[in-house]
Amino acid sequence: MPEQLADEHAFVGELVGDRPDAWDRSGELPADLLHKLGARGLLCAEVPASYGGLGASSRDNGEFTAYVGSLCSSLRSIMTSQGIVAHTIQRFGDRSQRRQFLAELTSGKLAGVGFSEPAAGSDLSAMQTRIQPEGDTFVVNGEKKWLTGSRYADFLLILGLGGDGAAAALIPTDTPGLHIDLVADPMGCRAAGHANVRLDDVRIPAANVLGGGGQSLPMLFTTALSYGRMSIAWGCVGIIRACLNAAAAHAKSREQGGVLLSEHQLVRRHLAELLIAEQSSTRVCEHASQAWDSASPDMAVQAVLAKHVSAGHAARSAATAVQLLGSAGAQDGHVVARAYRDAKLMELIEGSNEICQLILAEHALSISG
Amino acid sequence: MTAELSSLTAESIQKELLGFLGERIKTDVEPDQDLFSSGLVSSMFAMQLVVHLEEAYDIAIVGPDLKFDNFRTVETMTSLVLRLRDASGPADDA
Repeated sequence: MPEQLADEHAFVGELVGDRPDAWDRSGELPADLLHKLGARGLLCAEVPASYGGLGASSRDNGEFTAYVGSLCSSLRSIMTSQGIVAHTIQRFGDRSQRRQFLAELTSGKLAGVGFSEPAAGSDLSAMQTRIQPEGDTFVVNGEKKWLTGSRYADFLLILGLGGDGAAAALIPTDTPGLHIDLVADPMGCRAAGHANVRLDDVRIPAANVLGGGGQSLPMLFTTALSYGRMSIAWGCVGIIRACLNAAAAHAKSREQGGVLLSEHQLVRRHLAELLIAEQSSTRVCEHASQAWDSASPDMAVQAVLAKHVSAGHAARSAATAVQLLGSAGAQDGHVVARAYRDAKLMELIEGSNEICQLILAEHALSISG
Repeated sequence: MTAELSSLTAESIQKELLGFLGERIKTDVEPDQDLFSSGLVSSMFAMQLVVHLEEAYDIAIVGPDLKFDNFRTVETMTSLVLRLRDASGPADDA
């Protein structure tokens, strides 16, 4: 299978090396590495070539995302945020916004995105953030929680209400009135630079509000989240692959009771379950990516399905891998210890398990005769 | 579904869209019926409509055209398709 980004695997693999363990413990990614990957277009590889991107298919970017996810979920989270922002600009930006901002996002600038608020997670109707026109500028007020990558970002894409609908505003992080408070000791994706953000009368040019505002809030959310779900789904495939590799390698090398772990039947069952998880998640992600690459009308639902299936498998696989490695993997920084904490967060973000189930149930009702 | 693009009329687009909607949401709708306020479709389905219109009519719906009002009824979607088909020919993403 020809894969457009295959050559980039070696490039990223070399840059990353064995450092994710240390990044997890220090809670920080090296900014120069992020800028280097960004300048190569790798943080949002689906941006079309006409806008300076790599023009990767969802499938190819998916496999690349899984590879990065197998190395480090914090780094993969940065890709997810950058990709969400690029995808939202591509859909909702006007022509000059697409040209300007997509060029920046593929040349080293970094972006985060703000959905959740202290009182508004899945409940969009509770959103408080306002993006109001004032002369030829817009003024943004509100609070956003858990913005991935904020620590490193040059821009934040903030969603809010304003005018006769919703709007998405691209706000440079050095704009007066924008306060970024890092989340202390996040449980997973510890180096992803999560922050809570407060916006006090943040004034931005009208050119920074995508499409001039007046959008539909649910449509903005669904568009942005759908990309995020695809990225997380593939990232979870990477987590599962890392767990499978670590577990199989350990089982083949460690002896107990005079035989290798891999000779114990109960250990073998764990390995079988890890393989099943890896294959099932890969197939459901491939199917969803095919829906994206063929612009199938059910691409948004397929993204929910892929995210939900892969996140569940990742959380269970990480627990299995920790169980199998025992004390060898029970230390922060270790690939399976990271997987255990990172994967659990994947069951919460971009639609929790429960929200995904509600969406899938609604879909089940809509397709039944 | 993309056949005969050159001979598209408001009537043919409406007919096709009513068929698409009937098939997807298992309910007959009127051309001027508000799909969203009547609770017939969700935001997830709004994205399906966007993708369907782009594919079926070889248009790109981006930026300011993604306002909810453009997808509210079969009639508004039809006007959107006709306007985007008339505008400048090839999509500006090329």
